[in-house]
Amino acid sequence: MSFARLKNRLLARLATRSPALAKRFVDAYKPWETEGAIPFVRPQIPLRQARLAVVTTSGIHHASQTPFDMLDKDGDPSFRELDGATLLSDFKITHDYYDHSDADRDPNIILPLEPLQQLVDEGVLGELAPTHYAFMGHIDGRHILTLIEEQAQEIVKRLKRDRVDLVLLTPA
Amino acid sequence: MGLIQREIERAGIPTIGISIVREYSEKVRPPRTLFLRWPFGHPLGEPHNRPQQRAVLLEAFRALYQIEQAGSIVDSPFRWRREKYSDYQPPTRADLGG
Repeated sequence: MSFARLKNRLLARLATRSPALAKRFVDAYKPWETEGAIPFVRPQIPLRQARLAVVTTSGIHHASQTPFDMLDKDGDPSFRELDGATLLSDFKITHDYYDHSDADRDPNIILPLEPLQQLVDEGVLGELAPTHYAFMGHIDGRHILTLIEEQAQEIVKRLKRDRVDLVLLTPA
Repeated sequence: MGLIQREIERAGIPTIGISIVREYSEKVRPPRTLFLRWPFGHPLGEPHNRPQQRAVLLEAFRALYQIEQAGSIVDSPFRWRREKYSDYQPPTRADLGG
């Protein structure tokens, strides 16, 4: 592994334990500031009848998939399609900008498939979509437009194909 | 994450995002946000703490159905590692769209 990746991982580990260092990370990253109207539609059907998909930016993927590119300093804007039925027994997290040792032990803290299934079993939530989606987050510079104009639109197409009613998004 | 959320909502699918950095959500302005003042890498809480994960999900769904103003950020009352989830009051069916 490269020195840069080792350094990022070490800093990520420290930032998870130290709120002061975490604040420095937060202040150093300048997110894209949006302008104008915020898209907004109210849910039309009750939760107990809705089909939900999860989109996470935690860098989780199936072990056989190509890992996210951790060497590009602007991040990797591509996504991985996750099979909800098999992910928890076949996953890997590729992300150097946060300490994922807890998520490696229980990925439900970043992609809560088991507690969501429990809500389905109880009748609180209608059902889970078969497919979920993962990005790595920390997208910057030239990749931001790729993310908005290409990758996010592809996700939308697939969510509609799967007749998804609601989407939960989880960061890392 | 909020940029992707905005595109999904723009296509007509209602969304709720969990945030652990309030400043980012304020700038990116996703449609709806549940904010938790928790460490990086732990949006649903601690590993294997199922009552905690469940409470976060139910609060996210409450926000999804109850927020009326685009761009609203709900500040979660849950404290990191100092919360008892045994007396958590979940949303009612009416709170979640009926």
